[in-house]
Amino acid sequence: MIQTIAFYLFATLVIASAALTIVARNPVHSVLWLILSFFNAAGLMVLVGAEFIAMLLVIVYVGAVAVLFLFVVMMLDIDFAELRAGYAQYLPFGVLLVLVLSAEMIFAVSAWSAGGIALSASVAPVPEGVPNIEALGTLIYTRYLFIFEGAGLVLLVAMIGAIVLTHRTRSGTRPQNVSQQVKRRPQDAVRKIDQPVGQGMDL
Amino acid sequence: MASVAAGYLPILLFLGVALALSTAFVLLPMLVSKATGSSNPYADKLAEYECGFPAFEDSRAQFDVRFYLVAILFIIFDLEAAFLYPWAVSLGAIGFGGWLAMMIFLAELTLGFVYAWKKGALEWE
Amino acid sequence: MSNTASLLLTLPELILSVGSLALLMVAAFVGDSATRAVTWASAALLGVAALAALFPANGGGLAFDGLYHADAFSAFAKLLIYIAAAVSVVVAPRFFERAAPLRAEYPILILLSSIGMGMMVSAGDMLTLYVGLELQSLAAYVLASFMRRDSRSAEAGLKYFVLGALASGILLYGISLVYGFTGTTLFSGVARAFGDGLSTGELFGLVFVMAGLAFKISAVPFHMWTPDVYEGAPTPVTAFFASAPKVAAMALLVRVAVEAMGPASSAWQQIVIFSALASTILGGVAAIGQTNIKRLLAYSSINNVGFALFGLVAGTAEGVAAVMTYMAVYVAMTLGSFLCVLQMRNAAGEPIETIESLSGLSRTRPALAAAFAMFMFSLAGIPPLFGFWPKFLVFDAVVGVGLWPLAMVGIATSVIGAFYYLKIVKTMYFDEPAPAYAPVTSYTEGTLIAVSALFVSPLGYLAIPALGAASLAAARSLF
Repeated sequence: MIQTIAFYLFATLVIASAALTIVARNPVHSVLWLILSFFNAAGLMVLVGAEFIAMLLVIVYVGAVAVLFLFVVMMLDIDFAELRAGYAQYLPFGVLLVLVLSAEMIFAVSAWSAGGIALSASVAPVPEGVPNIEALGTLIYTRYLFIFEGAGLVLLVAMIGAIVLTHRTRSGTRPQNVSQQVKRRPQDAVRKIDQPVGQGMDL
Repeated sequence: MASVAAGYLPILLFLGVALALSTAFVLLPMLVSKATGSSNPYADKLAEYECGFPAFEDSRAQFDVRFYLVAILFIIFDLEAAFLYPWAVSLGAIGFGGWLAMMIFLAELTLGFVYAWKKGALEWE
Repeated sequence: MSNTASLLLTLPELILSVGSLALLMVAAFVGDSATRAVTWASAALLGVAALAALFPANGGGLAFDGLYHADAFSAFAKLLIYIAAAVSVVVAPRFFERAAPLRAEYPILILLSSIGMGMMVSAGDMLTLYVGLELQSLAAYVLASFMRRDSRSAEAGLKYFVLGALASGILLYGISLVYGFTGTTLFSGVARAFGDGLSTGELFGLVFVMAGLAFKISAVPFHMWTPDVYEGAPTPVTAFFASAPKVAAMALLVRVAVEAMGPASSAWQQIVIFSALASTILGGVAAIGQTNIKRLLAYSSINNVGFALFGLVAGTAEGVAAVMTYMAVYVAMTLGSFLCVLQMRNAAGEPIETIESLSGLSRTRPALAAAFAMFMFSLAGIPPLFGFWPKFLVFDAVVGVGLWPLAMVGIATSVIGAFYYLKIVKTMYFDEPAPAYAPVTSYTEGTLIAVSALFVSPLGYLAIPALGAASLAAARSLF
């Protein structure tokens, strides 16, 4: 009972906030609605028992991806009022897209009702009585080891790519050089002199 | 898998109560002020508060592209951390091979980290 | 099979991963002054990886419970991929040097991309396919906008990224449908499920997977990104895009079609026939009006992909062998053409890309003009040159399964394509000379042009026995 209520609550909120993501006038608000929608999707994932996916949604999508979206929105210097001026002009195209998308949804629903999902035939059946995060763990690092390491390389490429494309060495900056600081001894920097009275300073 | 969801009932209830209470705290004073007629908004009252000065410029200043690099690096290491959870939970079952798999994965990203560090991608100024 | 034995089978990827990580450290600690050393070390690594691919441990087989295949097919494709990648690595430093010294990340990204391509052609599971494809594409997006100060390069990278991500999404949606309806991502398991009759859901999965892969080989109707990306990307990167990832995606498409979706061949055959015909026609017609040589070569690659797809239409071992032969000759022709484009620079050393500037090249640079003309004739498939042979094999395979009307139409479209190749030859040989290009300073490029020109010349026919046997062995390993 309570699960049914929770499902409808989350599902409604996902759809409502996704719709608001699109119609919000301010792109920053769009991102915030998107975050709400991710949150509720995480709730749905918990309801079907996929705790790990739910956690990933919160940590990765809400915690990182949405923040990145926010940065990107703030980075672009776009006059959004001007962009919206073309709304009527692009309306036919938008309607066309809506038609295509709804046709696809009808297709998907008919495809879904056309054949049963034969999960029982899967090569890695879901073990009973094991939390799914543990079941995932036993597969990712053994059977799917090769793909897991490949995923590591994908992340590495993302890192190299971001640095190659956006990093530049700025002239005139004075970064902290820790080893230089540690290497510096008092005798290099401090001089003790017995200053005679009445004579000038020797700098 | 219904049992999994049932385990999260307390947190759902907690969130529900929190949501209801916080909504009440925000909405009740607004309703009361509207109902009693003490609500009196005017332009100066609604302006953003900026140390007592009138607002200098639009609050939507353009961000430096360097924020993006930091955000991307954050996402990458965030994902790396996400892979650690199932590994930690199942380490007993997957044995030495699984442990080694994660060490290789971490080594790949640690080398990437060393690269980012040496290139100065983590330095601000 | 234990993980150690499996790892030995994946030796080419292993060599490239360890090598690229080591070179990344060189790039980090030494900086861009090490680029030349990193470049040659990368080429050497690709050579070693090619050897490892040709001679897999224990004669090859399945690794990681069927996730990875080390067979004759993957060995053939990897050899082509690594050669093409190595060529795009060694020609790069001279192209980039006029603005600033080439950064050491360029060869490293190509190496990482090659790992992804190796995973693609060896994939035995939808997950290997997807991760390999992403690794390859992600590195490619960065390479496309490698000259970040050049607005065209940045635009190419952005377009490639947005459309590529969309295609990956489509592919992933298809994979999830296939998984949902068959209960497995293993190619062998998918084939078994498809063998029991194709449900509507499985059919939709198949269509989406084919659409995603068609984008990656830039077959019509998923070709629209190609001219823009090829034109905007730096020329060595374009040479890379037109060769190695194309071979990888084509080999992947063949493997998925035959190994995973073989029992549903009547379903994908229609899609492939449409794509093949549309690609050859559109690639031929749209190229006619082009004035930029890189755009023209982009349409030429669309056209050639169409011809290679005809081999897949047949769906037989001979057809697949014809596809692989086609890709081998195509790599030589396309790399040769782009190497010639690399020579197109004015007296100040600035690269020029207009077809007009080729006017009268036969008088200013006779050897370059002769080589370029050979590549053009070969791409057009005109008989004495080697480019004719794979076209013949492809249509022979199509006729072999009784689809001779299709073969007739295909041959007719190759006549349209011949027109614009011949137009370039005419510009070079019969027009008034344009200002001469800067003289060649690189022996590497000269040698590479000479080698590929020799391969596409009638002398290439000497390679037929070896190439035929290798491609047939490769094709047999899929059936």
